[in-house]
Amino acid sequence: MLKGFINILVKEIKELVRDPKVLLGMIVVPLIMFPVLGLIMGYSMQSAREQAEKATLLVVDNDGGNWAKNFTEYLNSSVKVSVVNNIALNNDVVLKLLSDHNVTQFIEIPSGFSANMTKYINGNIEINAAVNFYGVFSGGGILQEVGSAIIDSLVAGFNRVVAPNAVYTFKSAIIKGEVQEGVDPSVLSRLMLSQAIAMPITIMILLTYSMSIAATSVAMEKEEKTLETLLTLPMDRFAILMGKLSGSILVAAVGAVAYMIGFDYYMGSFTAAIPSTTLDLVSLGIVPSLFGYLLLGISLFVTLLSALALAVIMSAFSEDVRSAQSLVGNITPIIIIPALLLMYLDVNSLPLALKIFIYALPYSHPIIAAKAVMMGDYWTVVWGIVYVTIFTLVILYAASRLFATEKILTAKLKFRWLRKRAKKPTEELQ
Amino acid sequence: MGSAVEAIDVVKVFGDIRALDGLSFSVKHGEIFGLIGPNGAGKTTALRIVSTLLLPTAGTVNVFNLDVINDAAEVRKIITYLPEEAGSYRNLSGWEYLEFMAKFNIKGKNELNRMIKEAAEITGLGERLKDKTKTYSKGMKRRLLVARALMNKPKLAILDEPTSGLDVLHAYHVREIIKRYIEEHGVTVLLSSHNMLEVEHLCDRVALLNKGKIVAEGKPQELKEKFQSANLEEVFAKVVGLA
Repeated sequence: MLKGFINILVKEIKELVRDPKVLLGMIVVPLIMFPVLGLIMGYSMQSAREQAEKATLLVVDNDGGNWAKNFTEYLNSSVKVSVVNNIALNNDVVLKLLSDHNVTQFIEIPSGFSANMTKYINGNIEINAAVNFYGVFSGGGILQEVGSAIIDSLVAGFNRVVAPNAVYTFKSAIIKGEVQEGVDPSVLSRLMLSQAIAMPITIMILLTYSMSIAATSVAMEKEEKTLETLLTLPMDRFAILMGKLSGSILVAAVGAVAYMIGFDYYMGSFTAAIPSTTLDLVSLGIVPSLFGYLLLGISLFVTLLSALALAVIMSAFSEDVRSAQSLVGNITPIIIIPALLLMYLDVNSLPLALKIFIYALPYSHPIIAAKAVMMGDYWTVVWGIVYVTIFTLVILYAASRLFATEKILTAKLKFRWLRKRAKKPTEELQ
Repeated sequence: MGSAVEAIDVVKVFGDIRALDGLSFSVKHGEIFGLIGPNGAGKTTALRIVSTLLLPTAGTVNVFNLDVINDAAEVRKIITYLPEEAGSYRNLSGWEYLEFMAKFNIKGKNELNRMIKEAAEITGLGERLKDKTKTYSKGMKRRLLVARALMNKPKLAILDEPTSGLDVLHAYHVREIIKRYIEEHGVTVLLSSHNMLEVEHLCDRVALLNKGKIVAEGKPQELKEKFQSANLEEVFAKVVGLA
């Protein structure tokens, strides 16, 4: 055994464990955060599945034959079915149907279904019967596939009862109000999943990294006492705050660009190995426009600004760099939770309470915006920007008030509740 | 002519602690005034109030007839403050640090260059000014910071423990800088120190602080005569009843 090792180890553990900020950031937060995240994810998935199962399945019967009736009855034994008859489908009619029945998907039993079924049953296995599935595509996310997957399992169930491969499903997606024939919304969702994962990860890293830079920057000034010198100079104190925020944003932005380039290569390195898909996202209109990119940039900027201002405020309550970083580390769960949730779930598929929670967190908005600009839903992005801007202004005002007073030097967080006996206030300022 | 600094009945409370308890003193134009006392006596708090960093809980402080609370922005134009054991920006060179600080006071390029050159001369660091300040020794860093505090010829320089922790040579150099500047430019200096022997040779007048109160004030020689002591340390010990 190394001489002195145990002694050093015991001292290190004592120092770390007795620092309440480290204790909170490194042990308590992860212990709480992941179970909470697991609960939220589980609840969301279950709730979405239940909703999909409870929802009424709209069936447009354009065949009217016996097999169409049999098929509808089979569906009705598993899900609640609502049938409408004889509607010639075109783009406008499809949209009207969805809107009138307040659904996001439906099945059409086309004319000739019963005839084809009869032929198939009689041994002509070349001719099987198709049903048409129409589903609205609203961005990437695992739960996008739930509706489509239920239809697949129902059709498979029917085939098991009647004859193998008798019925197949021809799927179409409704993207931005346009019916795209032959585009399976669930395949599209899977394709968009890489994007749905990349954006939250980028934003999560960008926010935590830049918050750490801002917190270190202020804490370093406090630790080195250069802040005291700055505060006695003939200058606007708000300039110190804005200078620090801008510097951190610039560094973070360069970091973000480097990160995105790296991530792009990373994604490209293994997507290149996957056989190319027939889906062309550009022709389907699922790429953000220039205006969309601009909105996304603004959303990211205001969110970044609010995170940095919050980091500056928090670091003002610490005496040195280490405690500033562990203090800022305590708020990473409110960045990580929405990022991980929105990586897999569509915000609109969440239960109302969770939806409010996610929208209330300012750090969710650039992630929501990334999906929304892709779908051309600019109002969601604009309202997000307005909300985060108001939040940022409040934080900036608090930060500027902090810099305008002696609190920037004297403020300290006390964790007396973590200690067995209350300590006397610090005498450092004397 | 009024005083350079006039502090009357200043009280500062932090939580349960009364850091300053009715502190009053006056600094004349062009003198070096020392606040001396042990650690925790309230020296830094007093200097921070004069330099507009902290607000007094009660009492008034005027700097050249400007109130440190109501005229804080004006006060900052005529003072410089050097915190105890302050650092410089580690990744800036000494020259860049002086330039950065000078730009807050000076607009014109010629005047800026003249001021930085003068400050560079005061530091006595020569070519080392081109190096990053993280490579400096404690003494070199302090010389840089003292030069920064004096380079714009403030009406009042507030120096918190200017030679604390320095070796004999660096401490001597810093004291010489301060003395020379007062003689050449008529800057008023308010400094604090717990090194009473050093202050005795540097300050025109001193105030002895203990537990947030001034327990004695005057010229070092007068105080020594009054308390029949060989040096200010003995004076302090007698005043607080240790001897």
